[in-house]
Amino acid sequence: MIKVVKSGLYTSIQDSGRFGYRSIGVPYSGFMDFKSAILANKILNNSLDSALLEITLVGPVLKFDNPTTISLTGAEFNSTINNKLVEFYKPLNVSKGDILEINNSVNGARCYLAVRGGIDSETILGSKSFYQGLTKSEILKNNDIIRFNLHEKSHQYQNYYSRFSLNSSIEVMKGPEFKLLNKTSLNSFFNQNFTIGTNNRMAYNLVETIQASTNTIISSPVIPGTIQLTPAGSIIILHRDCQTNGGYPRIFQLTKQSLDNLSQLKSGEKIKFKLIS
Amino acid sequence: MNYFILNEDSFLISWNEELGSDLTQKISFFKHEVEHRFGSLIIECVQSINSILIKVDINEISIDQTLKKIKNIKINPKAYLNRKNKLWEIPVCYDENFGFDLQNLSNSLSISKNQIIELHKSKVYDLLSMGFLPGFLYLGLTDNKLYCERKNNPSMNISKGSIGLALNQTCIYPRKSPGGWNIIGNSPINFFDINSKNPCFATPGDKIKFYEISFSEHQNIKNKPKIPTYKIS
Repeated sequence: MIKVVKSGLYTSIQDSGRFGYRSIGVPYSGFMDFKSAILANKILNNSLDSALLEITLVGPVLKFDNPTTISLTGAEFNSTINNKLVEFYKPLNVSKGDILEINNSVNGARCYLAVRGGIDSETILGSKSFYQGLTKSEILKNNDIIRFNLHEKSHQYQNYYSRFSLNSSIEVMKGPEFKLLNKTSLNSFFNQNFTIGTNNRMAYNLVETIQASTNTIISSPVIPGTIQLTPAGSIIILHRDCQTNGGYPRIFQLTKQSLDNLSQLKSGEKIKFKLIS
Repeated sequence: MNYFILNEDSFLISWNEELGSDLTQKISFFKHEVEHRFGSLIIECVQSINSILIKVDINEISIDQTLKKIKNIKINPKAYLNRKNKLWEIPVCYDENFGFDLQNLSNSLSISKNQIIELHKSKVYDLLSMGFLPGFLYLGLTDNKLYCERKNNPSMNISKGSIGLALNQTCIYPRKSPGGWNIIGNSPINFFDINSKNPCFATPGDKIKFYEISFSEHQNIKNKPKIPTYKIS
């Protein structure tokens, strides 16, 4: 098992998500940056949807009580095992008593820590992903214990010489209420850079507004990646923990790739939208 | 019926029809048909007020193939209009200890508190949709006389089981939460159980009727929690 010495800013257990309960109002949740998370599991030859740690902006300090193999992917965080710098995107052996320290992110917002065999925590409605009100907690806390499968047979590890990079060009498709936008709002949507404002696992708010030609709609389904336009002209990009229904016009929808990319950008950073067919 | 492809694995079907029981029953029936015909090819079919969202397992079937098959589904109105529904009977205590917005609502709607309660409990509601919180129920439509706006300032601490009114709908809060609905009462029942295979007792398309209980009955049920009961109507 792993002891959480210091929890970091926002560290949670995530897997590929909770499906089949959206009709009763339960969000998908799951890895914010799917591509990076899946790679962390791939390196250890875990099943791709295995639960792992999602680490945000400031990482945790973890003490290993059993030897195992881990992998780190996603955003670049200064990280050490027993004060020695470690590399991302490769299998790392840890021994009993080792201390893994994940400091601040240098580039990007979220990194992923996978453990051989996957993290073993409570499964609620088919998923281990933390979500407020469903799992006992929405984030890890100091002194929490993380269990993992100790009896995994030896694995074939794989090296992925992947390199993390940010992408601030966000690709979108037309949303169901796209037609409610007038020319002025369309122009300002595609011809300026937007600054990322407050954001979390539910949604990314953008600082700049556009002209709102729209009001509200009958509450309708939304999914991660749906872009809503509020009557005040604010733009909200929904993410993995987003609610199931929304009453604001759904003007665009992010591609899955761009949803991953967005999850690596921080408050104050700029994005630009690009329309794909 | 309108179709709209939302992203790589999800699409929407919406209906431009008057909101109400008939439409809810139609969508609910359509959803059952889709789930029955596609089984595990569809990851999720989410019913909303005038639309459904369908998430497809694109490793097994493409969106185009799914749409082609879905367009062939013909529904005879007789099938859903005569369908037997679950009718859930939910106890509500309208005591002002719970219904702390009753007085304000009575002032703004210019009807008495008793009239509000009578109008609220006299109607059978369709379960239109769920969302906002896991297990949060949107029910409608309410009597025209109960039409009201959400509160300008949401309450930060609405208790579990609260029954609210906003626009032409009424709602149930399955757990403590902030919220902007006008609270008129409280039900002592457990509405959401994450340890159950079916965490929420009802599904969209079911019907719900409220019946009034006293403050002491509310306490009794609360001390011996029970699950909601239904009959087929």
